[in-house]
Amino acid sequence: MINDKYANKIVDIIQNFARKSSLWVVAYGTGCGAIEIPPTMTSRYDAERFGIRGSATPRQADVLLITGYLSTKTLKRVIRTYEQMQDPKYVIGFGSCTINGGMYWDSYNTIKALDQYLPVDVFINGCMPRPEAVISGFIKLQELIKEGKANGAQKYKENLEWYRENQRKVIKNWKMPDYNW
Amino acid sequence: MNLEKENKFAKQINETFHSAVVKVQRERRIIVELRSDLIPPFLSFAKEYLSFIHMAHYSCVDWLEENKFELVFMLWSYEEDVMLIVKTKIDREKPEFVTIKHLWPQAETYEREIHEMYGVDFKGNDRLGEFILEDWDDLPPMRRDFDTVKYAGEHYFTRPGREDAQDVRETIARHSGEEIPDFAKKYSIRRDEE
Repeated sequence: MINDKYANKIVDIIQNFARKSSLWVVAYGTGCGAIEIPPTMTSRYDAERFGIRGSATPRQADVLLITGYLSTKTLKRVIRTYEQMQDPKYVIGFGSCTINGGMYWDSYNTIKALDQYLPVDVFINGCMPRPEAVISGFIKLQELIKEGKANGAQKYKENLEWYRENQRKVIKNWKMPDYNW
Repeated sequence: MNLEKENKFAKQINETFHSAVVKVQRERRIIVELRSDLIPPFLSFAKEYLSFIHMAHYSCVDWLEENKFELVFMLWSYEEDVMLIVKTKIDREKPEFVTIKHLWPQAETYEREIHEMYGVDFKGNDRLGEFILEDWDDLPPMRRDFDTVKYAGEHYFTRPGREDAQDVRETIARHSGEEIPDFAKKYSIRRDEE
């Protein structure tokens, strides 16, 4: 094993290039925003030219796309999905609902700020964001990965207590498995 | 407007249920208001004798001022193409009603929803548990005395809006010279004028 800092840097560059060029998105749509994903993925906008494509299970995926509002019931499933994903993993908050609640700002059953519960790397605003906006969000994520700044998963591990505390506030009956990453 | 079949139904209903208040609203719409204890016999009468075999909807209205819940049934007749709307009022303090799932099995699901959203207890329906909401321990959320803004503010993180956020209504009104109605003014306070 070469333990030279320049060699490590080259390894990092290659690693980040590989990561950014194949972003597999877990096929999990919450809220209404998932309707923008089919046009993004299919021939007109063809997200696969950026290496973005769907994956069947969370364990094979790199990106968790939160498409729209999250009810507390869905949040539970999303947290489990996120914790099952393997590193490297990134979260994209999609639509106004993940930023400040959007049109569900006074709803009794949806969370208003996603980044209090999961580490979000990129937010795409709009209600709904068009496929162009979605692709531009992905390109922003690719830039962050290339620079090594998309470290949401690292943040989540380091501040797990804080995230757990927030999650427990909305998920009253906590019966979640503990993963030992 | 030909209301022949509607009036025929209204006459039939009035002959059997004297206390029913029947109103023919328009073509294909009949509204019946009835005492709550007469609802199960009335519904089976409508289903068996008047050909209203399809229960299209079953819902609840909260009349907070009258201290009543109103249950609304919508029945459809395929033979005559008429919708029958049956309304009844029940007590709001202790909301109780009987199940009608023996007439229409799909009523069970509607009753579960009404139970969860309004807290109405349906006797005979044994599936009135948790339905859509998970771990809900507050007032049923569709009741009018449930303050959803207050609940959301207490339970969820809210992100403050931008300082320069302004309602565009004022700007548009200034350009086009139109008047903003009074009820809309409270939403369009311009921050620079305050």
